[in-house]
Amino acid sequence: MFFNQKTLGGPLLLFEELVITIMKAINLERTISSPFHLIKGKKSGQTIQDVGYYRLHPYFAAMPNLEKRLYDEVIQNLFARQLLRDNDQVIDLTDKALAHAMPASPLNGWKYRGNEAVFLNRLSLVVQTLSYTSQQTNRFDPVHNAEDLQSWVKHYLKKINFRDPASVARFKAEMLESLEAADVEERSKMVLMQRLTGLGWSGMTWEQIALAHDLHILDVQLAAVEALHAWLDVLERNGFPMLSPLLDHVIQRSVLTESTQRTEKLFEKGLSLSEIAAIRQLKTSTIEDHFVELAMNDPFFNFTPFMPPAMYEQIVTVSKKRNTKRLRDIKEELPDATYFQIRLALALREDQP
Amino acid sequence: MKLEEVLFSAYGFSSFRPGQREVIEQVIKGKDVVALLPTGMGKSMCYQLPAHILPGTVLVVSPLLSLMQDQVAQLKKMGEKSVVAINSFLKPQEREKIWQTLGSYRFIFISPEMLVQPFVKKQLEKIHVSLLVADEAHCISQWGFDFRPDYLRIAEILPILKFPQVLALTATATEKVTQEIKTYLKLEEPFIYKHSMDRKNIVYDIKKFDDSRQKLEWLTSFVRGSAGPGIIYAGTRRKSQELAAILMDQGISASYYHGGMEHQDRVFVQQQFQNGELDWVCSTNAFGMGVHISNIRHVVHFQLPTSVEGYVQEVGRAGRDGEAALATLLYAEGDEGLLQSLVMDELPTRHEIQQVASHPAGAEQLVAEGIVRETALRVVAYWLSRLSESETLRQMEFLQREKIKQVDKMKKLVNLQSCIREYIIECFDQHLKGKPENCCVNDGIDYSIFSKRLEKPKKVVLESWQNRLNALLP
Repeated sequence: MFFNQKTLGGPLLLFEELVITIMKAINLERTISSPFHLIKGKKSGQTIQDVGYYRLHPYFAAMPNLEKRLYDEVIQNLFARQLLRDNDQVIDLTDKALAHAMPASPLNGWKYRGNEAVFLNRLSLVVQTLSYTSQQTNRFDPVHNAEDLQSWVKHYLKKINFRDPASVARFKAEMLESLEAADVEERSKMVLMQRLTGLGWSGMTWEQIALAHDLHILDVQLAAVEALHAWLDVLERNGFPMLSPLLDHVIQRSVLTESTQRTEKLFEKGLSLSEIAAIRQLKTSTIEDHFVELAMNDPFFNFTPFMPPAMYEQIVTVSKKRNTKRLRDIKEELPDATYFQIRLALALREDQP
Repeated sequence: MKLEEVLFSAYGFSSFRPGQREVIEQVIKGKDVVALLPTGMGKSMCYQLPAHILPGTVLVVSPLLSLMQDQVAQLKKMGEKSVVAINSFLKPQEREKIWQTLGSYRFIFISPEMLVQPFVKKQLEKIHVSLLVADEAHCISQWGFDFRPDYLRIAEILPILKFPQVLALTATATEKVTQEIKTYLKLEEPFIYKHSMDRKNIVYDIKKFDDSRQKLEWLTSFVRGSAGPGIIYAGTRRKSQELAAILMDQGISASYYHGGMEHQDRVFVQQQFQNGELDWVCSTNAFGMGVHISNIRHVVHFQLPTSVEGYVQEVGRAGRDGEAALATLLYAEGDEGLLQSLVMDELPTRHEIQQVASHPAGAEQLVAEGIVRETALRVVAYWLSRLSESETLRQMEFLQREKIKQVDKMKKLVNLQSCIREYIIECFDQHLKGKPENCCVNDGIDYSIFSKRLEKPKKVVLESWQNRLNALLP
């Protein structure tokens, strides 16, 4: 409950548009909670495989801290606005919703996987330190107390010779130049700056920022992520000697989740699916999720240990013919195929929409 | 070396606050000490300074993660580098690193749960601990609000550490609790220091209303007319948000604070308040621990606290600078009802006890599924390990009666005709020595000593992100 907050029911929130965009892609095939898991970045087989099936890469883990309560409010509002129809099973968008034109998103969630927070945390501590020390104030309460973060920042500050006013000036100039170049609304850049702390200018809470911009809290949170993703894109493509080091380990080098990478290593050593499950003390279904993820990301993935080529062909044909990716629909026609085999075959499909 | 010299060279303070010297002298002499110092009197210095004189490490047992983090942050802010916190939130790599250099730290903070783990004990056995500090030592009392079962096991660690001297610190302890501290920490002849619980510069006021609407009207006009900084304790999360919204509508610089907020947002509100960017914070009792601001002029309780101890603790955050501060307790007809339900909320329910008793192994799972609260689990699991289920139920009923007694003491305070200061002090088994001129509502208050609110120039509104960046890095 937010008392000073903008309520739902006015013009559609940017966040609501985001949810509808996702829903359009999975309409009639996935449940109402799927977009929530996607936006939160849930590391389940289903969610990860949907990213590939439906090309939802920008939105994965866009808001890892999204509260279920707020999401549910938004969903209720979509029903009230007759953008969603009652349906016990799946998302069922109305024509009004399907006709709604969606703005392009500057999000790049699959790439950053929520790690943009690492960048922001480092940046917050660095900016705070520079702000205080450059104004002759050496004692202050750091905005982050995590040990590993602090020691990373200490090391960084030493390296850039942070007590030298010229360093501070260069740091600021790089921030101005790179953020200027970021392809995102000016307002979103402001939201991001309002989350930073300096002497006499403490960071603002989401609600305070929302009030200042007359926006809903979800929209300022979304704006901050958009600004971060757009900014990181600039920083990554052009070298900024001061800022680039803040990106260390922020960008996932492998597109695979860590757990899947471990499964892949064991598979390459010649272990079978059930052997891997036994060794890793994980459920078989979890290892199956890993293989689906591998299949999604590797165009040369060899599926023959899991099903004969004929079955693969059948699954793909049924999916195309009935224009569906719902496992149950396919299973109905091909009772011999296991759900795992269907998922694997769909993950491999080349002609994804 | 004189103690003052150490105080100055290590921490930059030129004099002790009342009580600190008495305690520190005994610690340095090698005595076990039980020290009762009221909130806001600088308890931590009682082990911080000895750490610079005694050989080896000071091991501080701290009951709350947030308290521990704050203590570490404060020490670091004072320039202390040799400090580490050990709790269940550490990542495995971090822990590994700490074990390798454990003996080199001047301060080790540890949660009671970690302290009693066999592996941790083995690590601590290898190092030289010269002083064991039981912070918030009243947590050892089974009758108290903050009972932490693992505190009872602190004594187990003493032989492993080769019997270091012990310092027990608390801001709230009756005679009975002091005795419990002595018994459970196995202190034979400790030096007991009890500072008067009286904070002379705090003025106690009570305002009574017919209903909550009147209470709210009074609050808004009071805040509009008074200079901050001030804290308004609201009782519930929802209420704290509601009050902040109402005050902001009046153009007052206010915000709310409670445990349900995102961590970063909580830090921002604390810092805004600390830096004077925010005049009023409406909060639950979660606010206060990390707030080190000496010039708080007002503490308002919009709802009755559930105990006199809790009340004194929260009021004690005002006036740490020694200047006059006003504590205002608001009461409306029927507020006791809410009080009763708050008390019941704090205790494990019959259902929770039954659940824990029937799933002894999967208790953590019950917490994860939201069937049993974490705080309830700690207490219930402790009693179930010693008593049968029905005895545990009886024990909880007993605790319930104790809590209701506490509530009754609070209710009595509201209806008091005599001196409030005197009453509060007697709740701690102490006697009042001398009243200040400005004492309490029943002895008359001179409100003119508290400053009126001045219209502050509106803070510059930054129009663009470039402006904001310029403000951050001028």
